[in-house]
Amino acid sequence: MQTLHRTGISEEIKKLAEKYGKNRTSLLPIMHELTAKYGRITDEMMQETADALGIRPIDVYSTVSFYTFFNEKTKGKYIVRLCQTISCDMDGKSKVARQLENELGIKFGETTPDGLFTLEYANCLGMCDQGPAVMINHKIFTKVTPGGVHQLLEECRKGKLDKIADMGSVRLNIIKSGPILDNKETENEGLKKALAMSRVDLIKEIRDSNLKGRGGAGFPTGVKWQIAAASKGEKKYVVCNADEGEPGTFKDRILMVEYPHRLIEGMTIASYAIGAEYGIIYLRAEYFFMKSHIEQVIEDRKSANLLGTNILGKEGFNFDVEIRMGAGAYVCGEETALIESLEGKRGEPRNRPPFPVVTGFDNYPTAVNNVETFVAASLIAAKGAEWFTEHGTEKTSGTKLMSISGDCANPGIYELPMGVTIDEMLIMAGGTGAKAVQVGGASGSCVPASQFDRKITYEDVATGGSIIIFGPNRDMLEVAKNFMEFFVEESCGQCFPCRKGNVKILEGIKLLEKGKCSTAYLSELISLGQSMQKASKCGLGQTSANAFINIIQHFGNEILARDIQE
Amino acid sequence: MTEKKSTATVDKSKENLIGSLIRVTIDGREIRVPINTTILEAATLLGIKIPTLCYHKDLGLAGVCRMCVVEIEGQRVLQTSCTYPITQPLNIKTWSPEIRKARRNVLNLLLSEHYGSCVSCGRNDNCELRGLAAEYGVDDYVFGKMEQPAYEIKVDSPIVRDLNKCIGCFRCVRTCADFQDVSAIGVYGRGNEIKIATFQEWELLDSLCVACGQCATRCPTGALTERDDTDDIWKAIEDPSKHVVIQTAPAPRAAMGELFGLAPGNSVTKQLNEALHKVGFDKVFDTNFTADLTIMEEGTELLLRLKKALVEQKPVALPQLTSCSPGWIKFMEHTAPDLLDYLSTCKSPQQMFGAVIKTYYAEKNGIDPENIVSVSLMPCTAKKFEADRPEMADSGHKDVDYALTTREIARMVREMGLDLPNLQGEEFDDPLGIGSGAGLIFGATGGVMEAAIRTAYELVTGEELPFEKLRVEGVRGMEGVKTADLPITKAVPDWKFLEGATLKVMVAHGLKNARWVLEELRAGRLKDYHFVEIMCCPGGCLSGGGQPIPTSPEIRKARANAIYTEDESLPLRKSHENPVVKKIYEEFLTEGPCGHKSHKLLHTKYTPRGSRLV
Repeated sequence: MQTLHRTGISEEIKKLAEKYGKNRTSLLPIMHELTAKYGRITDEMMQETADALGIRPIDVYSTVSFYTFFNEKTKGKYIVRLCQTISCDMDGKSKVARQLENELGIKFGETTPDGLFTLEYANCLGMCDQGPAVMINHKIFTKVTPGGVHQLLEECRKGKLDKIADMGSVRLNIIKSGPILDNKETENEGLKKALAMSRVDLIKEIRDSNLKGRGGAGFPTGVKWQIAAASKGEKKYVVCNADEGEPGTFKDRILMVEYPHRLIEGMTIASYAIGAEYGIIYLRAEYFFMKSHIEQVIEDRKSANLLGTNILGKEGFNFDVEIRMGAGAYVCGEETALIESLEGKRGEPRNRPPFPVVTGFDNYPTAVNNVETFVAASLIAAKGAEWFTEHGTEKTSGTKLMSISGDCANPGIYELPMGVTIDEMLIMAGGTGAKAVQVGGASGSCVPASQFDRKITYEDVATGGSIIIFGPNRDMLEVAKNFMEFFVEESCGQCFPCRKGNVKILEGIKLLEKGKCSTAYLSELISLGQSMQKASKCGLGQTSANAFINIIQHFGNEILARDIQE
Repeated sequence: MTEKKSTATVDKSKENLIGSLIRVTIDGREIRVPINTTILEAATLLGIKIPTLCYHKDLGLAGVCRMCVVEIEGQRVLQTSCTYPITQPLNIKTWSPEIRKARRNVLNLLLSEHYGSCVSCGRNDNCELRGLAAEYGVDDYVFGKMEQPAYEIKVDSPIVRDLNKCIGCFRCVRTCADFQDVSAIGVYGRGNEIKIATFQEWELLDSLCVACGQCATRCPTGALTERDDTDDIWKAIEDPSKHVVIQTAPAPRAAMGELFGLAPGNSVTKQLNEALHKVGFDKVFDTNFTADLTIMEEGTELLLRLKKALVEQKPVALPQLTSCSPGWIKFMEHTAPDLLDYLSTCKSPQQMFGAVIKTYYAEKNGIDPENIVSVSLMPCTAKKFEADRPEMADSGHKDVDYALTTREIARMVREMGLDLPNLQGEEFDDPLGIGSGAGLIFGATGGVMEAAIRTAYELVTGEELPFEKLRVEGVRGMEGVKTADLPITKAVPDWKFLEGATLKVMVAHGLKNARWVLEELRAGRLKDYHFVEIMCCPGGCLSGGGQPIPTSPEIRKARANAIYTEDESLPLRKSHENPVVKKIYEEFLTEGPCGHKSHKLLHTKYTPRGSRLV
């Protein structure tokens, strides 16, 4: 019979189980702590954790294998993760990659013989306006040049990494602010006003504002809160989706670093509206650097009676917020996958319906909203629905934070009214002359120059805020390839069309690269992509073929006529 | 009689709202269904067939294969009919160019990574992937074809795993985790790299796997099959120096017909005897005989425990738990190594039979046990594991050399070219071919308990069980946990201490319910109970992992009916009246039940398998 060698870690894991709770929802936090301390998760740790949480070892093994930030094998003291996603790729990722390999004498996926460094690729670190980006353990460095690689590694070798500020070299890059970003002084006014209102009136105010979810799906926030409020449950949850993983999106990073009070105020208002006492911020692992910063804000708000019990003197209104870290899985941005992840499971999207507002975290009604949605909601509570509807289009109110990156002079954050055209954005960002713009990230749509008069709004081109500009010389097949590589890695693997479809499309792109794809096979792949759009289980699979289909549609001739480099 | 718990996941929301019907239109036809009925269920009611792969009636919904997608008017994307609850009027189409395209694309994707030859596959006659590919005319491998296997076939246990044929529908994982609550296997990795794995890729039997084989009976392809031992049997049969005997358990005969075109619920006991003779077995015996023997041994063991507790006032492990089901035994060894004393020490009927064959039968017939090949026909994959347990050779010879499943024997019968349902039928062979109806009902959940009650009541009171046709209704049926109380109003002198007592019994089947029983036991909440029957597989042996595929609640019910019907047609209905049982205690086990010789040959010990951490 197989046995596991006991090394005495049992007590430590039992303590962690005490700290986080003896149930499966504690699994990810415990795995994070063990990874931070020991650099890997051993079979013994898995068995001990299973025993401590009352689950089976396969549950731990299976879950750990899902997340890229957990590893079973020993890695280096410093895990160097180079962002390989589109914007960093366009900013010269491969040159940095080559230099990292040269400096360390290893390939990606390997660890140096001295055990100091492991070299890996990461998917979108959310630094698209300042790529190429490198994450070393929890610290992020941006605008890394091949020449700067040596110095970065030297800092690690000298043990100075910890001395570098949490933010590393991350910049904010707010280029254009608007009503949302300019309203810092009204902090907590929204909460005060909300608490003076009845729940029904508060929800009506949000409905009247016509605020639609800022994560990209565009579901009306007021309706979501109304259903959550009406759902019956002993407990309810407010969850902030801070798993900002869509390639080309980095606006939530700015909001969480610069406007964390606003975010938590928005969550508190939501909790009042739906009758929840618990709030969770699901923060992506790549944003670990801001965790302690937000935790401090939570503490400060507790001290100021803006969180906790009888908030701001409102009898019986209690609300607490905690942060739970993701572990490197883009699909967890899908709200039901996020909930599964919070429950300590693999981040596999659930069947919908039922929706989280009815059956969410721990099967209780749960309102999951994006960071920007909570921020906007807090301002709507402060300034009223009308203030919000002054901006935007008739159907989609307000301004939206656009994360602009790619081939332009001024990448960064732009707060723009809904309905802004792509042309207008290109002028602002200094990206005129582009051949295409990717709106909505890898899962969005690729808009060719002929359609730059289209509007950014849910009724035309929808986006969670990602705008990636492709200049006149970009090879669009390489763009499609980068996106498909992303989806092959990030598909949860659950549903058949997405699990295998992305792989087949990527293989097809490689055939196109070599000039070896027949048009008949290309049309099979398009047909496959269309089936993925229609028949996949979640938003990831339903959108992963978008870019490929768009690019073949608009740039098919250019791609088939490419010069082939053997 | 009380009922405590149910295996069937009854959707309460559905029950409460019956009466408020919702009208939906499917392919232009209207139907009114209770709220939360799924589209698939509604379509089935209309006789509209929607193809499925990951869906299984016994399991929770995965919604991953996307074969059952339908169009709902007003919705942007297709929806899976198996998961979609009807909560408002809908206009649904189950067929459109978009749907057809999606299904064909899914099948093509699956075929592109499905490696293995249908000709040599154990599931070639009822592979669901193959069936759907044929139905949809998907035969051109649009997205390519695997030329090399990606995985090594794992033959490390009674369950053979061929991941090259796995389509990743997670039926096995859901069976293991949700249906049986074992969780030996899970999904490892992400994206297209996912695979079904044990913890740390250990061999199956090193994991928590109990070899119940429920995963294999739900696998849509040939990725999970039983270890095929038939070649060894043919060799033994063809070897003139070997005396090959087979004992046949009650459950296979109630289901074997399904593999020969009969509807579930038709017993083929006598035809099977003839077929086995024709296949070449020297003797065909009835496991019901040792089921009866088990009742004598296990019943006596229970009465002795009761005596110790009630008369001698000594601490004793009560309730006594049954030990016939090898999957349950392994589960217990993993889950409750501290409670093993509660288990009856009796071997299972299969192992008792093996021991009797290699001793009593060998002696009586002057055959060297070395030359006997002891084979069993079982509904069960865990029986292969049990037969191979090292302690199962107390006579100096392995009790059972080969445990074959219903499916394996069906292959042998087919290979002989026999049309099983139309054979004339033959009797079991002497001397071990007599079994009672009480032994027969071991094949259904509650059967061991009912058999025990028929005998114990009569031995203790001196009177026959006063139930119509000896039916103990309270322990029958598919409820997950059943209990029954049996008042003993009078007792014969030997068992006088039981007079006025009420015998309290419990029956659980399926390991999910077994786990519940163990938790109750550990919490001290079963102190009032005396005897608990536990079967590994939901429904009992009739739905064992070696039984015909497919399985469903309806099929299990039909097999149970076949067993209970056959019981009532038999002249012998009580274990203690079995003349062969009487004879073996006169001639061989002369100290009687639980005597010294019984203990040596018919009883066993268990292995604590709790924590892996040392």
